[in-house]
Amino acid sequence: MKRAVIQIRKEKLQLMPQKAMFWPTRKTLIIADVHLGKAMHFRRAGIPVPGGVEQLNLQRLEDLIVSTRPNEVLLLGDLFHSDLNSTWQGFIDLRAKHASTKFTLVTGNHDVLEEQDYTKAKLDTLPFLDRGPFHFSHHPTEHSSLYNLAGHVHPGIRMVGKAKQTIPLPCFFFGKTAGVLPAFGAFTGLYRMKRKEIDRVFVTVQDRVLRV
Amino acid sequence: MRVQKPPSDRALITTAVDWFTAQGWDPQKFQRACWQAYLQGKNGLLTAPTGSGKTYALLMPILLEALRMRSIAKQKRGLRAIWIAPIRALTKEIEASAQRAINDLGLDWSVAIRTGDTTASSRAKQKRNMPELLITTPESLHMLLAQKGAAELFSEMRCVVADEWHELLGSKRAVQMELALSRLRAWCPAMRTWGISATMGNMDQAMDVLLGSDPGERVLVRAAVKKVIEVSSVLPKDIRKFPWAGHIGLRSVDQVLPILQENRTTLIFTNTRSFAERWYQALLDVAPDLAGVIGLHHGSLDRATRDWVEQALHDEKLKAVICTSSLDLGVDFRPVGAIVQVGGPKNVARFAQRAGRSGHRPGALSQIHFVPTHALELLEGAALRMAIKEGRIESRIPYARSFDVLCQYLVTLAVGDGFRQEEVRKEISTTFSFNSVSDEEWEQVLAFVTTGGPTLLAYDEFKKVEVEDGVYKVLDRGIALRHRMSIGTITSDTSIRVKFLKGGYIGTVEESFASRLDVGDVFWFGGRNLEFVSIRNMEMLVRSSKEASGKIPSWLGGRMSFSSEMSVVLREVMDRTAKGITTDPEVKKLGPLLAKQRERSHVPQANELLVERIRTKEGHHVFIYPFEGRAVHEGMSALLAYRISLLGPISFSIAMNDYGFELLSEQEIPIRDAFDSDLLSTDHLRHDIERSLNETEMARRRFRDIAQVAGLVFKGYPGKAKAVRHLQSSAQLFFSVFEDMDPNNLLLRQAHEEVMTFQLEESRLRNALERIATQNIVITDPPSITPFCFPIMVDRLRELLTSEKLEDRIARMKAQLE
Repeated sequence: MKRAVIQIRKEKLQLMPQKAMFWPTRKTLIIADVHLGKAMHFRRAGIPVPGGVEQLNLQRLEDLIVSTRPNEVLLLGDLFHSDLNSTWQGFIDLRAKHASTKFTLVTGNHDVLEEQDYTKAKLDTLPFLDRGPFHFSHHPTEHSSLYNLAGHVHPGIRMVGKAKQTIPLPCFFFGKTAGVLPAFGAFTGLYRMKRKEIDRVFVTVQDRVLRV
Repeated sequence: MRVQKPPSDRALITTAVDWFTAQGWDPQKFQRACWQAYLQGKNGLLTAPTGSGKTYALLMPILLEALRMRSIAKQKRGLRAIWIAPIRALTKEIEASAQRAINDLGLDWSVAIRTGDTTASSRAKQKRNMPELLITTPESLHMLLAQKGAAELFSEMRCVVADEWHELLGSKRAVQMELALSRLRAWCPAMRTWGISATMGNMDQAMDVLLGSDPGERVLVRAAVKKVIEVSSVLPKDIRKFPWAGHIGLRSVDQVLPILQENRTTLIFTNTRSFAERWYQALLDVAPDLAGVIGLHHGSLDRATRDWVEQALHDEKLKAVICTSSLDLGVDFRPVGAIVQVGGPKNVARFAQRAGRSGHRPGALSQIHFVPTHALELLEGAALRMAIKEGRIESRIPYARSFDVLCQYLVTLAVGDGFRQEEVRKEISTTFSFNSVSDEEWEQVLAFVTTGGPTLLAYDEFKKVEVEDGVYKVLDRGIALRHRMSIGTITSDTSIRVKFLKGGYIGTVEESFASRLDVGDVFWFGGRNLEFVSIRNMEMLVRSSKEASGKIPSWLGGRMSFSSEMSVVLREVMDRTAKGITTDPEVKKLGPLLAKQRERSHVPQANELLVERIRTKEGHHVFIYPFEGRAVHEGMSALLAYRISLLGPISFSIAMNDYGFELLSEQEIPIRDAFDSDLLSTDHLRHDIERSLNETEMARRRFRDIAQVAGLVFKGYPGKAKAVRHLQSSAQLFFSVFEDMDPNNLLLRQAHEEVMTFQLEESRLRNALERIATQNIVITDPPSITPFCFPIMVDRLRELLTSEKLEDRIARMKAQLE
């Protein structure tokens, strides 16, 4: 797994092919749009999404924490897809294994669990978070002085080759004043971004991150 | 008391003949044959054209049988016969015909229509008092199966008639019919099944699909009604100025005007809805005096608008109607004098059917004018004339093993009174579609609706169909409601209703079109300029605008491909053209273009396969012309690209039309080596096709419909978009997730099978490859673009096939961007 590095406002950020971001100076793992419980939400409604999606997401999260050993896991919203279901317990168990790590959730539009559920998971919830040169939020926004990092969009970009070949890929997308992270969850879609000259875009391909 | 003997078949038929005579009609041979067979208790299929009296061929004996039953004993009220019509527009005419005969015969039968348009109160009334004769659609029949007490409702059924069976046969609606019929036959063993169909290439199979393995006697009745069709092409004035590709025939608009003038009413058929819109606009541009006397009719226009157009056609108020396949079916419009077909119809039967919509008086000639949209299409005019003359007609391939429809059906039964799996298993094994389903597959289907398929979860909360004392039922009301909303197999993209600010619906556009509009934008739809005002709750508000606009919504639809009959006749025309022995005016007109093709490349005869190699700044192009139709080319090109890619890492993008296909690569394509090493052989065909399919995206696209029919993707209720927001997803997502987590999934496998059968038409592909094996390969290196390759080159829909690792490709794309 090879990471790419981007410098924003003099801070170095590592972009990981696992569709996550690592901020070494603060030892913070940053993840957006996990949509845990989505498969189960569908299953409860009689729509047979393979249940393995839930395990896969939890496992990927676990692996990332183990390999990066962060002081803090910062979740940029839409951690849980909808109303409470059994997958939340899976998250509580995972979180308990990393008791010394701080978990923070900048809440998104999908985060509709009760306060007590977040408390049970020892999860701090905030509407937004300003730290260092960054303004972290779920919805992309403009900030007067800080660089915004957000989720919500599920950014993807269509790569175009010479012989009219195209392929859609999830991406990190950095504009002049704000950037968005790819959605972490499996079973989440892609929104096609329109890029301008100034934008810096990195796609995740298998075990690498490539600047395009 | 004297017991009256029930009337004999002969006496009953006399009653029918008398009634016919009273109407001033003469019973035809096929009508008598149907009456006789029906009264003898046989099942069957009648093939007869529209307007030939086919309705009374089967309506009559159903009523005669009722007369007989009544003479034996007093009859309870309730359902006796169901008449299935594929579209709502047909139901009214059938109702009127039935009512007329019922009144005259003195039967106390009631007749009712039940479709998606039927109001809730009428449906409730029907439930309390079912009519004796119900005219309905396959979807509404399934809705009845989803009711509580369904078995009771159907207990006295004597007959189901599937009208326009050819329309249903090539679609999943036929599978829906097969399933409903299998249940009805189990409930009422005395029930007969009849179908009425236009002529197809596979009548016997069509009957087998309808009847399943019903043990009763079966008979195929053919009406001997022959129609004379005259085909002529609207020839461009100057072929050198006629476009080579990418147009919709608008240059011929002024040549179509005289046809309109010569006839009382003309129907102008286009292949797509947006073409219809543009033709309507173009006609008004060249002949403003047509305003008010021409109409527009297509599937995205509001029902009320379409009804108005149909009524106006009847009343002879319209000079012309520009329409799509939306008017292929439906009641006859007697005033129609001529038909215009814009662009290749791709299919002989469709063309003949459209032609038959004109000249309804007995012995009248059906006239159809073919308007080519680009130069080479002129060949199709000649091919169509030949096909009509030789009476070639397509078969319709029935769907088989459509597990998506089966999943939906099981939930339908579970929403109703529930089902016992061993009973349904037995019933479906009598159908054409599911007679080969294995126990393992059946288990998988059951698991799909009860446990949600294999899962590795410790705590699962899947809920849909639950089992109580061996009865499979849906207990959750939300699930039942959502299911009722999604019964059916006709799928479409999410559509937005277009409505005037002041009220009144115009029709629907696709969400993707709506999302590209900004407030104030003007677009052309339903034959007028509309200004976009706002959008909410899946409704777009508009107002009329005086401003002209260039924007016209496009509706995604499958691209049609040449049928096998069409490709056979086209190849014959091509061969005669190459040999210079044709007398067709279309080919003559094409002279200068063919000369250019000869000068730059070659015009192939039947024993030759033309291959053109061209280098442009886009890369290396190879064009190959088997003239087999888009569908076969799709498979053939993927196969060839895949096999070439085995020789060494190379990526292609692929484009095709009905005449040939193109491989385009950044690298030189070793096409001569490919032919030398027999890369178009049929060895390991299925295996190689599947391998190349995995890499292209055909199955993924096929999965869109499957996911919707199987209930994976819920389109939401009108006006309640919010309540199900968290349940929205796309078939694409499901496809990916199944591929990763449940690769053995039945629906995923179905997607691949459907691609093989319907999209690639494996058997046709095989025949085509065998034919090519006997041809001489002619490779040319044209100095510039040829008339043959141009239409393919400009095609924007492309497939991709690669043997390179994803990463390498990205790196290469990246390198080019920098």
